Amino acid sequence: MTPTLTQYLVISLLQIVVVMGFVMTLVPLLTFAERKVIGYVQVRLGATRVAGGLWGAQRGRTHQSRTFTGGLNGFMWWLGRWPVISIFRGLPMFIADALKLLTKEDIVPIEADKAVFVLSPALAMVAAFTVFAAIGFAPGALFYFPAKFPYLGGLPFYGFLTDLNVGLLFILGVASVGVYGIVLGAWASNSKYPLLGGLRSAAQIVSYEVPLTLSLLVPVVLTGSLNFNEMSTRMATDIPVNGLVGIGRTLLMFVGFFVYTTCGFAETNRTPFDLAEAENELVAGFHTEYSGMKFSFFFLSEYASMITVSALASAFFLGGHYLLPFGLQPTWNHFFQNSPSAFLAWTCTPSILWFLLKIFFLLFVFLWVRATVPRYRYDQLMDVGWKFLIPYTLVMFVIAALLRYAA
Amino acid sequence: MEQLLIKLGQYMFVIFGLLAVGGAGVLIFSKSAVHSVIGFLFSMICVAGCFLSLQAEFLGVAQLLVYAGGIVVLFLFVVMLVELTKYQEKGIFQTQTKFAIPLVGLGLLAFAGVFRTALFGASTNEALTLQPGLVGATENLGNAQAVSRGLFANFILPFEILSVILLVALVGAIVLAKSERV
Amino acid sequence: MASPRYSLLRTLIPFDIYGGMKLTGKYFGKVLRQANRGLKRTHVVVEYPEVPTTLMPRFRGRLQMIKDEQGEVKCVCCMACEKICPTQVITIEKGKKEGRKTPFPIRYDFEMERCIFCEFCVESCGFDSIILNHQFELATYNREDFSHAMEGGFQNMFDPTPVSHYSVSSED
Ligand code: SF4
Ligand code: SF4
Repeated sequence: MTPTLTQYLVISLLQIVVVMGFVMTLVPLLTFAERKVIGYVQVRLGATRVAGGLWGAQRGRTHQSRTFTGGLNGFMWWLGRWPVISIFRGLPMFIADALKLLTKEDIVPIEADKAVFVLSPALAMVAAFTVFAAIGFAPGALFYFPAKFPYLGGLPFYGFLTDLNVGLLFILGVASVGVYGIVLGAWASNSKYPLLGGLRSAAQIVSYEVPLTLSLLVPVVLTGSLNFNEMSTRMATDIPVNGLVGIGRTLLMFVGFFVYTTCGFAETNRTPFDLAEAENELVAGFHTEYSGMKFSFFFLSEYASMITVSALASAFFLGGHYLLPFGLQPTWNHFFQNSPSAFLAWTCTPSILWFLLKIFFLLFVFLWVRATVPRYRYDQLMDVGWKFLIPYTLVMFVIAALLRYAA
Repeated sequence: MEQLLIKLGQYMFVIFGLLAVGGAGVLIFSKSAVHSVIGFLFSMICVAGCFLSLQAEFLGVAQLLVYAGGIVVLFLFVVMLVELTKYQEKGIFQTQTKFAIPLVGLGLLAFAGVFRTALFGASTNEALTLQPGLVGATENLGNAQAVSRGLFANFILPFEILSVILLVALVGAIVLAKSERV
Repeated sequence: MASPRYSLLRTLIPFDIYGGMKLTGKYFGKVLRQANRGLKRTHVVVEYPEVPTTLMPRFRGRLQMIKDEQGEVKCVCCMACEKICPTQVITIEKGKKEGRKTPFPIRYDFEMERCIFCEFCVESCGFDSIILNHQFELATYNREDFSHAMEGGFQNMFDPTPVSHYSVSSED
């Protein structure tokens, strides 16, 4: 059943709303998770309250007695008694954060280049969010509308927005435009710290784009395709781990995963490569002069590109929509495909659940690394990029070509 | 629906083309060097859009990746680092005007000739399609495959020569930068 | 691992980053399991307004005068504290009181807004008649609330600061 044009448009719109809604809710949740994870790693508690006297002033204080700090916060104190819920105390923080960013005064420096100053956060945001057009969250249809569904009955709802033939290149190309947001914003601020941050960021991103692209060439060579869904499926299920080729492939994907994530950290300006916003040297780096919504655009785009990097890494190296990473799935399937246990048989089938779980895990790794690894110095950064990662990826590329030739 | 999409593609091509020309105008006429670079970037992105609307996805995305993502960043880098006002006083700009004007005129003439044949000539129907016989590709082969087959099978020698020329440029740049430091 | 023979291997495979990640991961897991109050706590912070903080014995809070067992003011107006105070926030007026041999301060004013809590006054006092108590929630909304006196000031020198609605924790 082929959809008519309007049906097609309606479904596309729905898909866009779902994907964008997913990303847009994940980003503020990530900021909350960041506080919590870093807090726990540093043996603190992270955010557990929202604000001082929200909903009721502090009341009922007597000598030597417990007091409450307002309704909501008292409730959150109470929630701390329950094992799992106590982790999620302070969750309304992300609403408070969003409200704060929305209502803050929007300051444009007098000496700034107004047009470019306004343009650059938008550029960063558009680049970071357009990428999701080519990311396949699930290959094929996610579900079919039930036949009774008004207007759209029986039509598929895809897990991806577009099935571009050159999806991977599209992602890389659009993401690479995101650097202009940083550099132009830094220049337009007409101030020294942002300019230094922007220059650092430009040099960093341009140099790390090389190993990033090279490390993504490994899956391209192994699968012989540039289509996101086809690549992720074939990387997960193509060659069983037997014989030299399969083992080599698994090892290659294992190493490639680490190399790609390292480059991804650098591309998204995250610690340990966040020289563009090194607080101790550059105040806040490229967004020193930004405030309010414009700042939050930069913020959103950084977190959105974190999601992109996690999605790419989990699709190409961690097995995508299948359970096992590094191309181990065919072996698993070989043993459990026809197993009597329904659960074990289910683990052999692709599911969007695995993909999302992998994305969440990688996002957690982003925060974990931020709490662990100190920032690189600038020359160390360049050393890591040019003397370590690029040779590494070139060797990997050659090995991948050899494996492809042998297979 | 197919018909509609093709029509849309044609309109998009015209729109992107005009926008690209607009970006090029900004590049030439704006006072600030960084604005010029922004115009250049805009024009590059619009050219990528043109390629996409002609269903040459690979070319379009490569344009985005290489020009918009890589080369213009380096331009921007240099423009931001170098204070151009310092050199403006020394009068090193616009010294080649008398050579440039005839050359541009020649180029315009050549372009006009190309446009005339493209719009009214015999090749109207095949000017923008990849010739299957040329690249040795079948109909259902994807865009990227067709380009790569063309590059690495049919035109391998020109491709390699080009890359050697680029290598020469790279080595030259390194030599220049080195000698300055010594 | 430290031997130079492995240095190339250490360059190629980031063991040290792995070690750091293991350590932080261990702490994350611990705190994640024990974040609720039911279990033994690993985290080093207290949830302050509800859980009273424990102060170190040498904590320097607000200046407070003390009385002896008979309810007499211990201060004998030797002016040592007024003299040594680097910010000159203590003002004492010497006077006499019926049935008391030593001089009696008829006025003892203390302007907390400029006090730097250096405890010089307490050290200089040979009669142990003043202390810096353990209060730290000293914020007020008005400047006048900072002026302390024996009587008549906004806050009494003998009592602990009345904990008003801007301070929440309890006083020991
Ligand atoms: S603590 Fe220091 S500043 Fe405060 S009253 Fe005593 S001597 Fe003066
Ligand atoms: S040093 Fe002690 S006894 Fe002397 S005036 Fe000050 S508080 Fe009174």
